[in-house]
Amino acid sequence: MTKSEYLTEYDGIVTTMQMYIDGSKQGKSALMRPAFHPEASFFGYAGEQLASGTQFLFDWIDKNGPAPKIEPRFVSVDILDSIAVVRLEVAGWSGNLTGSDVRMSDLFTLLKTPSGWKIIQKAFHWHS
Amino acid sequence: MRPQLSTGSSGIVLRGGFVMPERNTPQKALESWKQIAGYLDRSERTVRRWEATEGLPVHRREHEKQDTVFAFKHEIEAWSRLRTKCPGPEATDETTGIPPAKPLANTYLTEHDAITRTMHLYIAGCRAGDGDLMRPAFHPSATISGYCQGNEYSGSVEHVFQWITANGPAPNINPRFARIEIIETIAVVHLEVQRWSGKLAGANARASDVFTMLKWNGDWKITHKLFHWHDQ
Repeated sequence: MTKSEYLTEYDGIVTTMQMYIDGSKQGKSALMRPAFHPEASFFGYAGEQLASGTQFLFDWIDKNGPAPKIEPRFVSVDILDSIAVVRLEVAGWSGNLTGSDVRMSDLFTLLKTPSGWKIIQKAFHWHS
Repeated sequence: MRPQLSTGSSGIVLRGGFVMPERNTPQKALESWKQIAGYLDRSERTVRRWEATEGLPVHRREHEKQDTVFAFKHEIEAWSRLRTKCPGPEATDETTGIPPAKPLANTYLTEHDAITRTMHLYIAGCRAGDGDLMRPAFHPSATISGYCQGNEYSGSVEHVFQWITANGPAPNINPRFARIEIIETIAVVHLEVQRWSGKLAGANARASDVFTMLKWNGDWKITHKLFHWHDQ
């Protein structure tokens, strides 16, 4: 991996994360799919049930539909050359599956690939 | 560059003779196998085995011979607390395992210690060159990703177990927890490991690892390992 500017990498990561945010807000998984690595995984509890696999996530986003009032905040963006960790807090989740005014904490790990930064895993905690 | 540390009775002596007062040091250290064994009230042979097979957190000094070790009391206590909770098949050796540490009332500390316990299984596997030793630290569907010699590998965690076993022992690895962040059911751990060695790692390599973890069936399991090998 060649060394590069911190801000370039940071902005690349935020661009990828924005696809996730846009897809969440509009309830369209197609908008967020390009942000994910083909081998990406997904983990977390929806109630008592362990949800896993990106297909579960994409289906969930589509079924949930628009969540126009989500308020995402970047809590941390840590970059270690070819890998990165992003913690995102999202308040104001709503939709067909979510209900209203739900808060989620997300941990994303990302890998730098020739086609940009890709999410390799999303772990979430749904605050009750 | 990290300051060269040595501990003295009056505090930690940094290179250049500067003495950091004891009260500013995060924890007291045990300075040898003998002291670690004494602290746990077991033989040196037993504590060496616990390090090799059960993740007893023992550190190596850099730039010194392999068997110069030290341990932090708070790490030993955290390890023993969890080991007491789930005694393995070898708990009957000598007497009945190690002296029970006081159970923790603080939820945060309980979760933090459970996470480091899982991570120490990973570290023990790396050190021993034994993939099966670290297997219990991982969720069955865990995956890994990162670059190895310029080639991306993303896929099943089985690759890690095979790599670790093929690499063989890496007795001098020097791991440090750079970050442990817990959000109720999920957590992220950034582990920095220096002095990697072995058939595949080469000599004196440095790795940065980011582990995502899930609280699963009452235990913390690694669901993903993201790694970066630093240039030599």
